Amino acid sequence: MTSNFLFSSLLLLPFLAAPIVYMLGRLTARNGNVLGISLTRALTVFFLLVEGCLLYLVVKQALSSGGAYLLIGDEPLVFDGIGLILACVVLFLGLMVTLFSIDYMNNEKGEEKFYALLLTTIGSIIGLGMSYDLFNLWLWFEAMAISTYLLVAFYNDEPPSLEAGVKYLVQSAVGSALVMFGIAMIFSQTGSITLTDLWQLTSSEAPLAKIAGVLLIVGFGVKTALVPLHTWLPDAHSQAPSGISAMLSGVVIEAGLVAMLRAISMFGKVDFNWGAILIGFGCLNILIGNLMALRQTQVKRLLAYSSLAHVGYMLLGFGFSMAFGRFEGAAGGFFHLLTHSMMKGLAFLAAGALLFTLHLSKQEHVPLTLDDLNGASRKYPVAAFALGLAVLGLGGIPPMAGFMSKWQILVAGVKAENTLMLIVVIFAALNSILSLGYYAPLVNRMYRHEPSTAVEQGSKMPGLIIVPLVILSIAIVVIGVWPSSVQFLTEQAGLSLLYTFFY
Amino acid sequence: MTPILIALTIGIPWLGAIIVWLMGDRREELTHWVSILFSIGAAVTSVLLLPNASRETALTIPIGGDFGDFTFVADGLGIFLSVIAAVIGSLAVIFSKNYMKGEASLGRYYAFVLFFIGAMVGLVLSSNLLLTFLFWEITALCSYALISFHNDDPKAVKGGIKALIITSIGGVGLMVGALIVYAYTGSYDINNFLANYSTIPGNILALLAFGFLIAAAAKSAQFPFQTWLPDAMEAPSPISALIHAATMVNAGVYLLARFYPAFKDVPYWSEAVMIVGALSALLAAVMALVSNDLKRVLAYSTVSQLGYMVYAIGTGSVYASQFHLFSHSIFKALLFLSAGAVIHSIGTRNMLEMGGVGKKLPLVKWVFIIGALALAGLPILNGFWSKELILESGLKNGPLWLYIVMVFVAGLTALYTIRCVWLVFFGEPRSEYHAHAIGWEMIAALLPLAGAALVSWLAAGRFSVLLGEKSLPFHAIEPLPYKEMMHEVLSLPTLVVMVVITAAILLWVFRKKLEGLINGLKSIRWAAENSFGFEAINNAIVKVTQSTAEALRVTQTGILNWNVFGILASVIILLAILVLGA
Repeated sequence: MTSNFLFSSLLLLPFLAAPIVYMLGRLTARNGNVLGISLTRALTVFFLLVEGCLLYLVVKQALSSGGAYLLIGDEPLVFDGIGLILACVVLFLGLMVTLFSIDYMNNEKGEEKFYALLLTTIGSIIGLGMSYDLFNLWLWFEAMAISTYLLVAFYNDEPPSLEAGVKYLVQSAVGSALVMFGIAMIFSQTGSITLTDLWQLTSSEAPLAKIAGVLLIVGFGVKTALVPLHTWLPDAHSQAPSGISAMLSGVVIEAGLVAMLRAISMFGKVDFNWGAILIGFGCLNILIGNLMALRQTQVKRLLAYSSLAHVGYMLLGFGFSMAFGRFEGAAGGFFHLLTHSMMKGLAFLAAGALLFTLHLSKQEHVPLTLDDLNGASRKYPVAAFALGLAVLGLGGIPPMAGFMSKWQILVAGVKAENTLMLIVVIFAALNSILSLGYYAPLVNRMYRHEPSTAVEQGSKMPGLIIVPLVILSIAIVVIGVWPSSVQFLTEQAGLSLLYTFFY
Repeated sequence: MTPILIALTIGIPWLGAIIVWLMGDRREELTHWVSILFSIGAAVTSVLLLPNASRETALTIPIGGDFGDFTFVADGLGIFLSVIAAVIGSLAVIFSKNYMKGEASLGRYYAFVLFFIGAMVGLVLSSNLLLTFLFWEITALCSYALISFHNDDPKAVKGGIKALIITSIGGVGLMVGALIVYAYTGSYDINNFLANYSTIPGNILALLAFGFLIAAAAKSAQFPFQTWLPDAMEAPSPISALIHAATMVNAGVYLLARFYPAFKDVPYWSEAVMIVGALSALLAAVMALVSNDLKRVLAYSTVSQLGYMVYAIGTGSVYASQFHLFSHSIFKALLFLSAGAVIHSIGTRNMLEMGGVGKKLPLVKWVFIIGALALAGLPILNGFWSKELILESGLKNGPLWLYIVMVFVAGLTALYTIRCVWLVFFGEPRSEYHAHAIGWEMIAALLPLAGAALVSWLAAGRFSVLLGEKSLPFHAIEPLPYKEMMHEVLSLPTLVVMVVITAAILLWVFRKKLEGLINGLKSIRWAAENSFGFEAINNAIVKVTQSTAEALRVTQTGILNWNVFGILASVIILLAILVLGA
């Protein structure tokens, strides 16, 4: 198999798999046709595993032949460190979400659409990671956006879900329009949209480049949930089915961040401190995310706001690397991308498992509140433990992985040897403690002896839902005590980012 | 040998923690015994480390990258603290078998206790600052989980979260310090830093020194972070004994002791340390005097005695500070466990409802008195020798006025101690209570501690060698055989202190005649009962944070037009920044 064939298969497989999965589900969708839907689910898992194998083979090829790329016309799709880590994260999380959703989405109307759309989301994110020109970046980004619009509004009989979906759609569309303006400006000035060309073309003065940069940051920033562009996020992440919430917080907003980084990487030579903008947004995100989460009583909304804060940490890491040339910042940012996807993914899946047993399995589409969690640990020990572990990990408590990734980002901040950055580091650390102010009471509630009414009347926890919870919990602790186990991924990505920015 | 022992002393309790957690609540008796077994295992391996003290890096786990290598050094300071953690840990676990009988969620209880013991040992044996911080945070996690063990009690949950947040805020000081050490010396290694600290620019070193002081003050409940420890008394008494008296709160003092050689020349650092210690000692002693809750009195007393240790480091005598840490761990654990026995038996913590308990629980009375005499600093108990060494160091190297304050506090200590003993064990019962007998497990935990309080000071010489040149190359601690120590202590300044203590005891005995004087001090009493305003500050901080958060909610309008406006406004603001910056 040639490198091109493997690489093209990696990109195309999810998009071939999606219609197959959908058709199979649709055609066998007769009342109570269990075989049909089970086959659909199994096929989804199968395709994801095949995609994983393809990824492995592409990596091997790339390592032996010194690179992997694919030319479509004049535009290259390049397999570098950033693409690798994004692909790994989306495939792993996607597999966990699929396993989770087998029981969670059982008997939901339009279940086959769910799996098909999940596959297209995963495929578009992988493609987004490989993009090396503005057209592809925008194309895969929009494909991801469209897939997620439909997934957010999946419960289309519930008004809150529809509202969340519409807000997400409109705001994302505004963002995409801004991105288009930015791309148009760049193309009109330089005549090219390939990143490798643009690195050489943008000179240090270029005022239009700065304006385009701002437009790209804000445009992609809507998807990345920069504050104040974030207002769609609490609704969308809390109304979506829990597996999709996990995907959204865990990888979709991070894909937006990666797109932003790719886009502004061509402006490395422009005389403007892009890193400072990222650090500024980062601090705003961390503070607002934590403060808003403090007052939430619905569990999924609380987790959604907490995602804002964690995107803030990633922005800090990338900001430190761009402003001061610190490699640790980039590696740390990607490390936090990885650990956050696992911890937030686990949090949403565990909360989703509880939401399922307490409400959804009885066809009640009500949100999971903090009061519902009282005493959950006695009846649902694994889900409660998983949620507690995930949430304390998000608060930066060892031995979970969040501690190590935050540490690496803060190393970059201190190594900058700049007083203002030291203040930012202390600010970020204090905010981590602030987040414990809403995480810790949640954990305490679950370990009460008096159960809430919801817990008393909750149904049995299905077996398969537990599996991804256990896998993710173990992974989080392993990475937390052995951070170097994933350094090969994060360092590669960090190097790729610095290479593109400081080219 | 040493690397294996280190790995075992951390690994055995951690393995026990996993096993006990998985055992859950199914078989109570077995859970107790498994926990006791694992804790005794850790105690044995930690004691076996004693003869092997050395300054060499004993165990290295290569991690690489920005995380350094996880290294462990079994030097005297680390080994002695791990012995305290593991041995007193096992006594607390043995005590728990009786104290926690019939409680639910025992799996979670013992898992966190064992997890804590391993983490504490790791904290003091680690020689990589990142690893030290990692273990520091794990002990904070365990402390929080155990304080709020009774999750249904809002006071316990509040106390646990308060402890977590206050100690973590202080922990930022340690974290920033560790990052600075890494950024400026290229390595997390502690001994490397102690050898090369002069390569760090002065103002950065000062930042480091004061950062560590803040971390130590928060962890050891010193001024101005002392408010979490009294509220942590919602934890079961064995936890108060282990974590909040004998081990975790010592982590702050340990940090100061370990890094003293690098920071002693930082301008105003030693003075700041002395003042923090003295203020904590004074304020806490006054608060202990007015409190009616048995455990709170002991909690304030812990803050006060830790103040002595911190003060000692400020005056330059790391040995005196650690010697007092050694004595204090023993007698404070003894006091807390005996208090636990009383509370478990009687059913209340309020001293005003007790009285005459000594008649019902004579053994507990005697061991408590031994602990109290050690706390008050009366000869010949261990507390006497160590406290006098601290005061000697203070007289020699510290300002005179601070020394006078510390002697005064010694008097206050004696006063609140005798008040406590009297109110609980003597006199007539002030309420209807039923005292049921204590189990053999409690006796088995109390007796060794009482014996140790009587004789541990004899190990002064061995102790000084343990902390000496061979294992702590940067601290310059001279060997001090116990006979020489006795000679040093039995001198005029000590006589002065004894007079003060006797005066305090007489004050109590003749308290009825001094009612006028006591009434005159009413305003101080009121201030002390309100923790000198620190609780008010804590509440204010929480309120401001919550109101800011509540006020921000208006930004989530739910109206799409406003949301899109936010996007466009960001573009305009950023463009404005661009234009202005140009």
